[in-house]
Amino acid sequence: MILLGELSLWVAVLMALWATAVSFAGGKLRRADLVASGERAIYATAALVVLASAGLLTALITHDFSLRFVASYTSANLPTIYTITAFWGGQAGSMLFWCLILALYSALAVFANRRANRELMPWVTGTLGVVILFFLATTALATNPFERLPFVPADGRGMNPQLQNPAMAIHPPNLYLGYIATVVPFAFAIAALITRRLDAAWLAAVRRWALVSWFFLTVGITLGMWWAYVELGWGGFWAWDPVENASLLPWLTGTAFLHSIMVQEKRGMLRKWNVVLVVSTFLLSILGTFITRSGVITSVHSFAQSAVGTWFATFLVLSTVVTGYLVATRLRDLETPVELESMISREAAFLYNNLLLVGMAFSVLWGTLFPIISEAVKGTKITVGAPFFNAVNVPLALMLLALTGIGPLIAWRKASVANLQRQFAVPVAAGLVAGVILFALGMRDGYAIVAYALGAFVVATIVQEFQKGVGARRRMHGEAIPAALFRLVARNRRRYGGYIVHFGIVVLFLGIAGMAFKEEFDVTIQPGETFRATDPYGQEWAFRSNGVSTYEVLNRRTAAITLEMVQDGRPRGLLVSDKRQYFDALGRPTFEPSTEVGILETARQDVYLVLVGVNPDESAEVRISFNPLVVWVWIGGTLMALGGLIVMWPQTERRKMQAGYVASMAPRRSVVLPAEV
Amino acid sequence: MTHDTTSHPAPLLARRGFLVALGAVAAAAPRALLGQAQGGTLPGATMDGDGYRPVRLPPKATIERTLTSGERDATERRLSCPCPCTLDVFTCRTSMPCGFSPRMHSDVVSLSAGGYTEQEILDAFEAEYGEVVLMSPRKAGFNLVGWLAPFLAILTGGILIFWLLRGWRRPEGAPAIDPAVRRLPTDATPEELARLDRAVREADR
Repeated sequence: MILLGELSLWVAVLMALWATAVSFAGGKLRRADLVASGERAIYATAALVVLASAGLLTALITHDFSLRFVASYTSANLPTIYTITAFWGGQAGSMLFWCLILALYSALAVFANRRANRELMPWVTGTLGVVILFFLATTALATNPFERLPFVPADGRGMNPQLQNPAMAIHPPNLYLGYIATVVPFAFAIAALITRRLDAAWLAAVRRWALVSWFFLTVGITLGMWWAYVELGWGGFWAWDPVENASLLPWLTGTAFLHSIMVQEKRGMLRKWNVVLVVSTFLLSILGTFITRSGVITSVHSFAQSAVGTWFATFLVLSTVVTGYLVATRLRDLETPVELESMISREAAFLYNNLLLVGMAFSVLWGTLFPIISEAVKGTKITVGAPFFNAVNVPLALMLLALTGIGPLIAWRKASVANLQRQFAVPVAAGLVAGVILFALGMRDGYAIVAYALGAFVVATIVQEFQKGVGARRRMHGEAIPAALFRLVARNRRRYGGYIVHFGIVVLFLGIAGMAFKEEFDVTIQPGETFRATDPYGQEWAFRSNGVSTYEVLNRRTAAITLEMVQDGRPRGLLVSDKRQYFDALGRPTFEPSTEVGILETARQDVYLVLVGVNPDESAEVRISFNPLVVWVWIGGTLMALGGLIVMWPQTERRKMQAGYVASMAPRRSVVLPAEV
Repeated sequence: MTHDTTSHPAPLLARRGFLVALGAVAAAAPRALLGQAQGGTLPGATMDGDGYRPVRLPPKATIERTLTSGERDATERRLSCPCPCTLDVFTCRTSMPCGFSPRMHSDVVSLSAGGYTEQEILDAFEAEYGEVVLMSPRKAGFNLVGWLAPFLAILTGGILIFWLLRGWRRPEGAPAIDPAVRRLPTDATPEELARLDRAVREADR
């Protein structure tokens, strides 16, 4: 099976080459047989990559340490689940995993369009083939997971302990699913540019793919934040690390696209901008992969520096130049007569929203790359860390939060004064009242007050929209509130799913802003000793040490401290944090010691314990933190993903019409009219 | 399959010239990009602390005050740990198996005990490690480009949008038929279009 996998990888390279060549030739020569051959070659490539992946998985599960990859990332005593997740735990395997998702996505896109978009498909298939070819060739030639060692070691090196976490089992696949889904919209954009068929048809074909990408990036980023919080032990969830930034970039531009596509749907505007956003999102995904895999920028997340950097840099440059050329030479084809009735309209609000999202993407990219630019210009190294990113992005994020509430309530075309008064009176009052109350209660952090006030404003706009919708259904159909609510969302998934995403964003901001009130204490504590602290809510806590215990379990030796917690005289249970030293099947230590944090999670705050070290006199060095509202970050991320899922869920044409989608994106022979209102 | 091949604008660059330029860029750019590859924040720095440099100064003759623990923590938050963690010294020293941050913490404690202020401590670290040890670049010289570029970009984008929107504004009194609708090949009657318009406005409300 392993040999079959290795052979499949090489044959897949050739198959992708064939798919690319015949698809482009079929498109150029208008030969249906070549086009069909190219599409079949994409299916065959996907099947071959599945075989190659099965071969690598077999090698991992059977502990075939003759493969460098298996020996480098697993050991005989590694739990089975992590032996499987090692597939994407190292450079070579994760490249093959990337190829697997890419090939399956491509096959799915080709299959879904087997009867649609036929003018575009040869070029779509060819572009997908180019991207698959690049990734397969890089995997096979630069970082082959089937590379054999000159000898067979008795055991492997094992997996980095920080990757032995359930979140890490699913965080990278989700990010990959998000990153790679950007390739399908990119392929359609390239096809539309090549063929100059730049009407709305290609956009209609890619909207769901853009949503898929957005959904998986959202899930992946949220899981990544959770992993950093529970595993890395530094008490936060976002450090503006270059690899974190790399995942945020396509999310920001993808979010901008999902908003601006509505303007093209409704008003036929922003055609150039949508093309630019689609290709930028893909290129930023490749840039993110380059940053993660090349070692060009320091990050604790990065894979080891390897030859793939040159491959990625070349591909990135070529893709950027070719795409730029295509866009530049088709600008006139993208021209469309547009007119705007008012600068206070929903389309204008979406433009402001796009400005902020793309502005944030630029600032994140700029901050990530500025150390390189600075070194090239000045010759001295600098660090661009969290203070820079926070200073630049927090104000932008707050403005974006405000637009989250404003955009959906402003009318298309032109908002009248009456419309503005009717829609915004209650939400603005809610925001102001929230701000005043928080200030009166003693909150003095300006950004936090603004965040919570804007949060109240946005929530009020969402509640108001749901209230109106449910009220209308109750009047028209006499439904009970739960049934009306369910049907309202079910029949207007796009609109109300979007509101749920916005609500998730507010909840996320609630959690992030809470961290402004974080309290931390570094403590040296003897067994039996008690440390007392006051949390940000003014509650008294006592932490009594039960001492440090050491033990051995599975593939690790552990030293753990246990603290008994008492809050305002009420026992709150035990909190345990430990240091772990992992070892291989021969008992040899692998990797540096790692930390497992102890967390008491509540809706108000997390009590977060980190064992820093144990002294010879049996005292322990610990850091105890009170992290307000952190749990709402995970809840917010989950709500966003849930809203995204609702938006993505297929809806029948009949229900779309019922929901009022009248301006169809695909050109038709006649306009679909709703029933007389 | 049909392709519309009429009235294409002339390309900005001839195809052959483009391909030659593409080859040259593809050959040169990756090397330029990868030429900047870094090992750690400090060149060659690893988690085990190779390259640590003690930052020690004699205590001041007159110690007016020492930093509180909160101020000391704040100082450490402004110092970047040279290991590949990309975190500040305060955060790194409890979470990473790092050879730098615990020793840098000791240096901060020692300098604080010697009567040095936060800025003096930061200056001492910068003198030893260079500007790279600060979590964010100083707001001076070329660094100002780094600090201001995001805001300038957004300002420029905002002006551009304002300018575009002004250009797109429909003159007063002009018919308000949406171009998206106008462009659709449609056999709808004016009455039907008027109904559609009302329905869209109703749906937007």
